[in-house]
Amino acid sequence: MDQHIKKVYVPMTETAFFILLCLRKPNHGYGIVQMVEKMTDGAIKLTPGTMYGSLSKMEKDNVIRFVREEDKRKIYQITDLGLEVLQIELKRIERLYKIAQEEM
Amino acid sequence: METKKQFKWFTIFEYEKEQDYLRDMHRSGWKFVKVKGFGVYYFEKCTPQDVVYQLDYNKDGLAHKDEYLRMFDDCGWEYIQDYAGYSYFRKAVSKDGVAEEIFCDDESRFQMMQRVLKGRMLPLLVIFFATLLPQFLINLLSTHNYFIATFIGGILAMYIAIFAMCFAKYIQYKNNKK
Repeated sequence: MDQHIKKVYVPMTETAFFILLCLRKPNHGYGIVQMVEKMTDGAIKLTPGTMYGSLSKMEKDNVIRFVREEDKRKIYQITDLGLEVLQIELKRIERLYKIAQEEM
Repeated sequence: METKKQFKWFTIFEYEKEQDYLRDMHRSGWKFVKVKGFGVYYFEKCTPQDVVYQLDYNKDGLAHKDEYLRMFDDCGWEYIQDYAGYSYFRKAVSKDGVAEEIFCDDESRFQMMQRVLKGRMLPLLVIFFATLLPQFLINLLSTHNYFIATFIGGILAMYIAIFAMCFAKYIQYKNNKK
């Protein structure tokens, strides 16, 4: 994994985390917004400016890829690199959580 | 319908100020219709309402306009127009008083600023170093045309002031993010 990907995605923003998590199945930006709102009981509401910018950036970084277009909505899916990054991030969060539990 | 025009000038990084201005106008019963030319804002009379205005600067979005606008429309944002690379959106503040924004993390706010910097600042820098600065020096030192030199010098001073302001704002943003 190259340095740029490591620098941007380890650790990653909550937005990037949810995008990768949701795109294990093909979906479009607004679909992700709705999924995240449901998953977090409305605590996290992703916004269109952030979503559009993040999706194009993540596509360029090759952690997600464009699948097809449906009704003017771009549908994306996670790539192998994206899955790898997501796993690293999950391990990092898990480690943090464990340390905190031991300490508290 | 009663309408009115206002001239307003916002420098490169003042899009937040511009957003506040449009929101204030709507709150006092003037709904933004369009901006044209050299900063002329058109309004029409409306019932006063708290409506959030937001500006995005996204060339990639403008290149894929259908998908770009669809995303904002899906999320409940009304698209108004494009102007100088910016796209204008608005959304009424919800009944529970939540004023939404189009960016939800500092990372993407910062990226927006970088896009503005790249799209609007670089051309200015090119003009500065490729034409203004050499012209100033030629008139001042070689042809001794002090009248023109003073004139260009004035523009140069304005440029430098804008650069300094942008730079300060950029640093402020960057520190905020950390």
